[in-house]
Amino acid sequence: MFGLVLRGLATRKLRSALTAIAILLGVTMISGTLVLTDQIDRAFVQIFQAGNAKIDVVIKQKPPFENVQTSVYLDAAVVDQVRKVDGVKTADPFIQSEGYLIANGESLNSTGGAPSFVFSNLPQDLNPYTPIDGRLPEASGEVAVAKEIADKGKVKVGSKQQLATQDGIKDVTVVGILQYGNGDTSLGGSTTVLAPLADVQQWWALEGKASYIYVKAQDGVSQGELKDRVRAALPQQDLIVQTGREDADEQAGQLNDLIGKIIRYALLAFAGVAILVGAFIIYNTFSITVAQRTREFAMLRTIGASRRQILASVIGEAFLIGLLASVAGIVLGLGLAWGLGKLFGAIGFGLPATGLILSWQTVVVCLAVGIGITVLASIFPALRATRIAPIAALREGATLPVGRFAKFTPAIAVVIGVLGGAGMAYGLISSGSTTGRLTTLAGGAILIFLAVAMLSRYIVRPVVSVLGVPIGAVAGGVGRIASENAARNPARTAVTAAALMIGIGLVVFVTIFVGGIKASFTGAIDSSLKSEITVSARGFGGTIPAAVLPAVQGVEGVQTASPVGGTAVQIGNGGYALIGIDPTTLPEVYAFDWTDGSDALLGTLGTDKALVESTIAEELKVKPGGTVDVLSISGAKATFTVVGTYTDPTILNGIVVDQPALKPLLQSNATGLNTVFVRVADGTSVETVQAGVEEALKQFPTAQVQSNQEQKDQAASGVNTILVIFYALLALSVVISLFGIVNTLVLSIFERTREIGMLRAVGTTRRQLRAMIRWEAVITSIIGGVLGVLLGILFGWAVCKGLESDGLVFVFPTSQILIFLVLSIVAGVLAAILPARRAAKLDVLAALSYE
Amino acid sequence: MSAETEAATPTSAVGDVVVATDLTKIYGEGDSEVRALDGVSVSFPKGQLAAVMGPSGSGKSTLMHILAGLDRPTGGSVLVDGTELAGLNDQKLTLLRRDKIGFVFQFFNLLPMLTAKENIELPMKIAGAKPDPEWEATLVEATGLGTRLTHKPAELSGGQQQRVAVARALLSKPAVIFGDEPTGNLDSKTSGEVLDLLRRAVDEFDQTVIMVTHDASAAAIADRVLFLRDGKIVRDAGRLSAGEILDTIKTLE
Repeated sequence: MFGLVLRGLATRKLRSALTAIAILLGVTMISGTLVLTDQIDRAFVQIFQAGNAKIDVVIKQKPPFENVQTSVYLDAAVVDQVRKVDGVKTADPFIQSEGYLIANGESLNSTGGAPSFVFSNLPQDLNPYTPIDGRLPEASGEVAVAKEIADKGKVKVGSKQQLATQDGIKDVTVVGILQYGNGDTSLGGSTTVLAPLADVQQWWALEGKASYIYVKAQDGVSQGELKDRVRAALPQQDLIVQTGREDADEQAGQLNDLIGKIIRYALLAFAGVAILVGAFIIYNTFSITVAQRTREFAMLRTIGASRRQILASVIGEAFLIGLLASVAGIVLGLGLAWGLGKLFGAIGFGLPATGLILSWQTVVVCLAVGIGITVLASIFPALRATRIAPIAALREGATLPVGRFAKFTPAIAVVIGVLGGAGMAYGLISSGSTTGRLTTLAGGAILIFLAVAMLSRYIVRPVVSVLGVPIGAVAGGVGRIASENAARNPARTAVTAAALMIGIGLVVFVTIFVGGIKASFTGAIDSSLKSEITVSARGFGGTIPAAVLPAVQGVEGVQTASPVGGTAVQIGNGGYALIGIDPTTLPEVYAFDWTDGSDALLGTLGTDKALVESTIAEELKVKPGGTVDVLSISGAKATFTVVGTYTDPTILNGIVVDQPALKPLLQSNATGLNTVFVRVADGTSVETVQAGVEEALKQFPTAQVQSNQEQKDQAASGVNTILVIFYALLALSVVISLFGIVNTLVLSIFERTREIGMLRAVGTTRRQLRAMIRWEAVITSIIGGVLGVLLGILFGWAVCKGLESDGLVFVFPTSQILIFLVLSIVAGVLAAILPARRAAKLDVLAALSYE
Repeated sequence: MSAETEAATPTSAVGDVVVATDLTKIYGEGDSEVRALDGVSVSFPKGQLAAVMGPSGSGKSTLMHILAGLDRPTGGSVLVDGTELAGLNDQKLTLLRRDKIGFVFQFFNLLPMLTAKENIELPMKIAGAKPDPEWEATLVEATGLGTRLTHKPAELSGGQQQRVAVARALLSKPAVIFGDEPTGNLDSKTSGEVLDLLRRAVDEFDQTVIMVTHDASAAAIADRVLFLRDGKIVRDAGRLSAGEILDTIKTLE
């Protein structure tokens, strides 16, 4: 029987190949994702291990609560305690901060979201950097820079340049060019400048502080041993002592959680969509081939094959196709990972690169998913094949018996759809974990797709009769035949269209969702801001020098400059922003959308009262009159009485207090200022004032000056980048569904060989025949496109409504939807190319005598 | 020319709808060479119902395919309604079939998703032409399909399906209709219905029909019966009875 399977595959090469492609592309994406993210993971480990290569023990501050991205610092004086420990050769404080070199007027900062570092210098026996030209910085005002930025900015040893710091621009002298580790570890797109510790402490307001204390052991003392001794010597329980290796692995792990895992799960989600689409196509292909092979199966049954053997032969075929496709997918995935790595580099998201890594886990996952899905999708068609009676072998035009559950299909579909809807609703409104909610949401969406796919067979005929009119008018007789062909086997057309529906549906959903995010931001700016210009922090831990405020206030034409600051705090188990405002100026630049309270409350805040954003208030279950206990990232604690609530999930999304109440909760390096809202005096040009503010803030590279429109544009461009990436990833699913259309057409044409022969004999030209097949494909793709658009709108609307309290706005993307519909028609035309050619090439006589 | 000539002249004459001259069709090369047609010259005048007979492998199907522009000869020439087929590209040949030739196939070859009426009109629809309603009504009347026009092929008997196919071939008033075993898939009663229809097409509507058949009773309604063997016309007779036809066939086998 297995030999028969092999022979069958070999004789149906094109069909087998097209079926395999459906699953191959999804597996390629899984394999590519896993290979790429393994690579990223390993690169991070390499970077941190190279950084800690000379470091035996690391001491750092334990953050008061988890899951914060704000850096915490320890007392640099701890180093004195450490140096006394027996076995310590060298111990030095180290600060990691953000800043960059400005060489000859050009900012040499990082690209693509990688950090721009300024590190405090370390003695050479602890320092991962080695000068390849010049020396390490010693005196105040000296810096050494990494080779990459020296090359980029043509920076020479001895040249006078500038350094962008939190405290403004400082004049520095470059005394060295540096190499990281032994020079073969890439740091991705990040940049590094080394400066003396005292300079870094001063310029980043970290006097007496350190990010880490690095320790080198004396010869003969192991890392573990020294760690234990240091731990024993330090009574402070809020300090963490680790070996260099432990610290490197931890940091690599954290960074990987932040970047690698997000890339991994996002890409895998899209790969999952591709696999789902592939499953539809495999199901359809097997359904069609089983139907076409009815007589063959019946013949096998007459000569003694058991139902079990028939089942095994169909599933065996699926297994083989799945296996071949998975293996090919794994190999192509390696190519994809390589290409994506190059692509990220080319668009400035330079990922630290190592060689391609094909782990056994990748191979296992790919094989399991590829083979599993193919076999799963073939089970129902295989079961139907077993129901063929032997007598069918003797009948001309025997058809597949109707499935046992066929009459329940609509009911089952409705149940699935209701379950899906319930899943989505639960995902949207429940208060469970984000992962849980997203999973239910996605599961719900899949069920709805499935239900619609099952039910869409009933709309095929009505849709065709509507579309048939214009198509008949345009294409005449062949248009009519094309319409009828599309409606001939509604289930087949429906499933083919459903594959496209999924891709288009998600494209529409993503468009609406991302459009909603964009609209929520622009809407918030329009409705909440009375100011025309905003000064905000550009990177640098989200803080700007206190001197920015008076500088802005001094600009001519500025009527009000209202400062806003903040810090990360923990309330209960959740992380929030504690926002410090100036009660006298804020009402002039910002309009509160009060749910409970009024602007009059602002003056009464004092040091112990707070306003809470309404969604957060719901989460914390507090009402005016209640209290919130906050734990700041600095470790300080405070209790505030809630006096009012307002709605703003975008701009002031947190707990609002008066500035003096914020101060004691700040870390020493935080200025308590991250934004200045600027209101321009009446009758003064905003452009002129903005230019004035920019001029006044020239000394503060960390302060970014934007008009409201510029803020909107920046948000839009960020969001658009994400949208483009989503489109690119969903395009794969659409491409897979095209193969589905190709496959169905090829199989249908094969079935209709004799009809095609007749049509050609009675005078249908090749061109007309191609047009006929093209129209059939277009009808299928229109059905898929329209269903996809409808579902996408439904999903988009549901999610926007569900997340309304987070500010999401439902915007109907009319023009995009028209474009997607046109694109789905184009998709149909493209999918028809190969089948149409094959049909047109058929020899008339051979086709006529085809059985 | 080894064929005896009893009824029609094999040479071309004005009024001949189909004229074949010295047709050869060779499959394969060298030792495996098969001469399916070996120098056939034959003409069919307008308004004639001709039957082509011969044992399997005699070349009768090949002859019909070449005359109908479905296959190309290795040598020789075919004129259909004055147009030389040699040298026509696929597009021109297709249009010629569309405009000048009608087909009736053994397996009816109707499109299952179209109604009887739509099937009848199919070639004209493909050509983008409007059927003449009077002529269509006449055909519907002649085929006796009046009450079955909205039915799909699956709801029609074999005889009805083949009558639809004949009406389809006649609707565009082609120069010639080719039948490829038109009764080959029918029982004797329904065969009779279809043959009557073909006979009427010639007698009443002045059509020209050339059919390949195995069936002596089908050939017996023809004005002229051609017998082929080994790629050559061995007898070109006028009207023959079924008995005479069977006798001739016996001599050929």
